[in-house]
Amino acid sequence: MAKSKPGSMSRALVRRETIAGYLFLLPSLVFFLTFVVYPMVMCVVTSLTNATMTASGTSDFIGLKNYIDLFQDKTFLKALLNTVIIVVVSVPTVCVFSLWVGARIYNMKNWACSAFRVIFYLPVVTGSVAVTVVWKWIYHYYNGVLNYVGTNLGLWEKNINWLGDSKFALGCIILILFTTSVGQPIVLYVSALGNVDQTLVEAAQVDGATDLQVFWQVKWPQIMPTTLYILVITTINSFQCFALIQLLTSGGPEHATDTVMYYIYYSAFTLYKYGYANAMGVVLALCIAALSAVQFKLAKSES
Amino acid sequence: MKTIRKALALVLALCIVLSLAACSTGSEDPDPTKAPDPTKAPDAAQSEPVNEPAGNDLTANLTLATYPVGKMTDEATVKALIADFNAVYPNVKIDLVYLDYSNGDQTVNGMIEANNAPDLIFEGPERLVANWGAKGYLVDLKDLLPAGTYDVTVGSCTNAEGAMYELPVCQTAHCMGINKDLFTQADAMQYINEDTHTWKSTADFLKAVEAVAAIHPNVGVVFCGGQGGDQGNRALVTNMYGGQYTNPEFTRYTGNCAENVKALQALVDVNGIEFDPGIAGSEEIQLFCNGTLAMATCWNVGAAKSDTQGKTANFEIFPMAFPTESGDPVLQGGIWGFGIFNNGDETKIEAAKAFAKFMTEDEAQYKKIVEATGYWATRDVSGLYEGDEIMTEYGKLVPFMGPYYQITLGWPEARTAWWNALQRIGNGGDVQTELDAFVAEANAAAEAAEAG
Repeated sequence: MAKSKPGSMSRALVRRETIAGYLFLLPSLVFFLTFVVYPMVMCVVTSLTNATMTASGTSDFIGLKNYIDLFQDKTFLKALLNTVIIVVVSVPTVCVFSLWVGARIYNMKNWACSAFRVIFYLPVVTGSVAVTVVWKWIYHYYNGVLNYVGTNLGLWEKNINWLGDSKFALGCIILILFTTSVGQPIVLYVSALGNVDQTLVEAAQVDGATDLQVFWQVKWPQIMPTTLYILVITTINSFQCFALIQLLTSGGPEHATDTVMYYIYYSAFTLYKYGYANAMGVVLALCIAALSAVQFKLAKSES
Repeated sequence: MKTIRKALALVLALCIVLSLAACSTGSEDPDPTKAPDPTKAPDAAQSEPVNEPAGNDLTANLTLATYPVGKMTDEATVKALIADFNAVYPNVKIDLVYLDYSNGDQTVNGMIEANNAPDLIFEGPERLVANWGAKGYLVDLKDLLPAGTYDVTVGSCTNAEGAMYELPVCQTAHCMGINKDLFTQADAMQYINEDTHTWKSTADFLKAVEAVAAIHPNVGVVFCGGQGGDQGNRALVTNMYGGQYTNPEFTRYTGNCAENVKALQALVDVNGIEFDPGIAGSEEIQLFCNGTLAMATCWNVGAAKSDTQGKTANFEIFPMAFPTESGDPVLQGGIWGFGIFNNGDETKIEAAKAFAKFMTEDEAQYKKIVEATGYWATRDVSGLYEGDEIMTEYGKLVPFMGPYYQITLGWPEARTAWWNALQRIGNGGDVQTELDAFVAEANAAAEAAEAG
């Protein structure tokens, strides 16, 4: 019996394995195409139309008009600015605070480390609506705990309308976002710091490195992938801040807490401007993609 | 052996793919006029979709969506009404969708976009006439209108072309509520005509506010944290000096008139009233009922009878019309009734009409549904709320009901522009400038809606 050539056998095997691989991939691919790629394409297509809610379901192609209108829409620009402020304030503070807490607790006794992780992770596993309602009562103008404590301690003279005053509203939102965002990064940092190669740490200490030097020269490079993940996730979450706004301020007062996500929702589901809302969605996606790319680039060059 | 393993792997892969395909709902017809799949309706999973010709033996599966108008989202109440209907039409099955005012519109819009709109909906003209009706989703219900329905009510449920997209069932007049204990304590009841539930004048209203402010830190608020309950602050502003919110034809917004500017300036200046961008109508009611505020502008008989609102107050709530100079208040009306979505299935439309007609035509049945809403009938009905003291007291305000201007085009944008303008005014903005900005924005929306 003639033997097949080894090369052709290998190609046949590769082909069969490739087919089998794609077959196993197919279910996920179907889901991915249906629920990710198709909506993304439709979002871009719809953003070029004046789609709205009508019985006929028809819409006209209007080119880039929605995009041009967007950048002349003061409310959108305000929402974009607020979103950027949230991201710029929230992302570094969440990362720094999480790293600090993680570094303080990761080498504690097991029970203490677990207790801290539970405490910081609780707001994450608690429903965002429940958390928001509690914060709403903390900030309440007339009967809120914050005003009660503040006025009784003499920190301020009379009640402050935390969510109703444009000077404070965005800060209050960022504070809530902060408390609900730090849980996961802390857990991740505790895990990452626990996995740092102890031999390198000990070698550095033997060489006379200070604690700070050990941290920055030895530990920091090893937890860089975790940091990058946290940066990207926190950035995306901050850009997508919606539930807090919807439940607490409806974008007010005076658009002080409008975010792009909330404005998308408002345009689509209150004003029925589907095309316009999709254009905003595209712009938001581009912003997130650009910022994530920058973060990847910076983190790579640093590591 | 290898071949068997490969065959097995292939069969397994195919099984996964086929089971996924079986789980999917198949291709959707994007035609919005297509009848929705009844199996997709909430609570309808076990119902058999049946579409037989209408007639005496009417057979259909319907979905009824209700907003919280009185007890219209109370399971027992609504099911009792449906049971009455099913006693006559046993083959019409009705599934229920309960909505609320915070995101009910979004729920219905989502259903519409998914070609799964409810067949029947219970709400008011600003949604049925000015929104879904204007967009062509609802059927004309003129043929169902019971004789004797008040003309002003019919007018509010009918669009400019004469199509009636709401079959009116009940109505009420939104009013103010005051904490009578506090007002008495502050000697402010002297500014009120207790028998007619009216203020002696706008100046007297402002004096009353000042008097109560002397003994209580928070008298009232111009809430502007959202659109919820905005009929209250609109009515307060327009009544004080006889201003208008829209033109009489309900085509354009006129809220920047001199009377409204004067009213808002007075509200800014008076001691005891604050502009609060942190709350909307429901929170104002809550703060009023728990005694934090001495008066509420987002009030009506429904709130007074509610176990979680008026009945929780440990003081006497006294209903009031809004203050006027003329002594002739114009109250915002609430008119609720049935709308029927055109889902492209004549049998369903027929069955939905049969339901709406059943609830409104026969007087005994009509009284039941009106009582379920807790409001007043839209035609003369004998023996309704006999001996009910609260209804008798609040009934004195119903004759003050004014035109229903909430059907003006561009209403969703106008509402947002209004509370945004109030926020800016409360934060020190010039009243005339901010009202001009509101009117410009609202009228731009009206023009855009008019242009289609």
